[in-house]
Amino acid sequence: MSNKTSSALLTVALLSLGAAAQAQVAVIVNPKSPTASMTADQVASIFLGKSNTLPSGATAAAVDQPESAAVREQFYTKVTGKQAAQVKAAWSRLVFSGKATPPKELASSAEVKKFVAGNADAIGYVEKSAVDGTVKAVLSVD
Amino acid sequence: MTCSKQWRLAPLAAALFFAIGAQAQTGGESAFSFSGFATLGVVGTNTDAAQYAGNGQVRGADKSWSGEVDSKLGVQGTFKANAMFSGTVQLLSKQNGEGNFTPELEWAFAKAQITPSLALRLGRMGGPFFAVSDFRDVGYANTWVRPPMDVYGQVPFSNFNGADLNFQTNTGLGTLSAQLFGGQGRTTVARTKVDFKKMLGFNATLEMDNGLSLRVGHLQGRLTAHTTTLAGLVALIRTTPFTSTANELDPTDKKATFTGLGATWDSGNWIVSGEYTQRRTDTYAADTDAWYLTLGHRIGKFTPYGTVSQLKHVDSNVTNVIPAATPQLAQLKATVDGFVASQHRAQKTWALGLRWDAYRNVALKAQVDRVKPDGPGFFINPQPGFGTGASVNVYSLAVDLVF
Repeated sequence: MSNKTSSALLTVALLSLGAAAQAQVAVIVNPKSPTASMTADQVASIFLGKSNTLPSGATAAAVDQPESAAVREQFYTKVTGKQAAQVKAAWSRLVFSGKATPPKELASSAEVKKFVAGNADAIGYVEKSAVDGTVKAVLSVD
Repeated sequence: MTCSKQWRLAPLAAALFFAIGAQAQTGGESAFSFSGFATLGVVGTNTDAAQYAGNGQVRGADKSWSGEVDSKLGVQGTFKANAMFSGTVQLLSKQNGEGNFTPELEWAFAKAQITPSLALRLGRMGGPFFAVSDFRDVGYANTWVRPPMDVYGQVPFSNFNGADLNFQTNTGLGTLSAQLFGGQGRTTVARTKVDFKKMLGFNATLEMDNGLSLRVGHLQGRLTAHTTTLAGLVALIRTTPFTSTANELDPTDKKATFTGLGATWDSGNWIVSGEYTQRRTDTYAADTDAWYLTLGHRIGKFTPYGTVSQLKHVDSNVTNVIPAATPQLAQLKATVDGFVASQHRAQKTWALGLRWDAYRNVALKAQVDRVKPDGPGFFINPQPGFGTGASVNVYSLAVDLVF
């Protein structure tokens, strides 16, 4: 392997590392929602099943990302302060006491945006770079 | 493993295939949601003088390891008809009081969410007797291999048929949930049918935003144990003048109550939980007090934990007034004493364990319990001399999953 190739590989590796570290997560709602911003605690309550209402009082239609998605891991770590296993255990306590069902899991950020754009009471999260005019960001975390 | 053992586990295997098939067919926009949980666990101890078993089970673990104490499979389906009405069914297969794994209808209830804070349920539902009653069989949802037996072994019922009213509100301190319930339960304890009728109780939980959760619960009802051996003994005593002892032993329509206090703190990487409970009956099932305290610490995917628990015998509820006046009466007196001694419930346990969240929906656990029984405790098939001093080491390994 030449020096040139290995330094090029190193650059790619560094770039992707940098990208992963910098990826911000945005919590999104429908553009018509009266909610302008939300706190991490408010969002965490919904995604951990402690509350099912939006600040407006409407019943939240929360949607999740796939368990394999990097943005999901980042969202739960940053917004709820809990690891994936803790979140799963918390939901299994709610599901198996018949109290609540977890947010519907969609396949990608594009699917989440489509759902949120089409549902007045929806709430989801995507990479901040993926936010566009079809949705409204109410919280963003680094 | 013997051939008959394999047959006993067959319904569990069949249910697992059904579960995987059903899950493959669900998904999409359906209002039907499906989930399940399973535990594959083995238990062994360092004695052959008695067996370690779960609530009401007829076969347990001794020096020969057993997969029948903790292994279980549960599947649950919820159908949401609209924003107000839903129905939930849960099937559970584990070693029951008949000694088989036949799947049982653990829950089957209809729920009406009358207002966002008030819900009414009708049907068969989980009995809220303890802090983790509803998910006591869901290993993945709990830190331990199983809820501490010293406390959870006191009540053999896990569900009841009836109704409950759930009220939930946000207070300045956190979310307050209050539940009123009534109905009747039936279970089988080591092949003996036990009824709990005219049951009425309440359960309240305050979940604070800082991770602290407090609980108080109380219930009462009328207990009847359909045991022919005891009925024979009671009938025999009633042929003597010492009927007060017979009346105390007779487990027919006797008042029983159960009260529990609990606290859980789960914040960041520390988990602390404890419960204090009291069982009181007007018949041969001994009055007991029991408590546990668990401390756990999350280190990445590993959670080491420790539990101290104790079951205290308070009263046998039976005063043996039979005098040893004749050889026949002496024998009867000894039989009653022997029966009362078999119902003595006292043990103390120190447990250490490790939970490893190995995969996104799979946890592996190893736990060692050092149990010091005074009398049989919750061990089954005790040999003469068991429970007179020696502690028992109980070793458990479990794989818990949810899907």
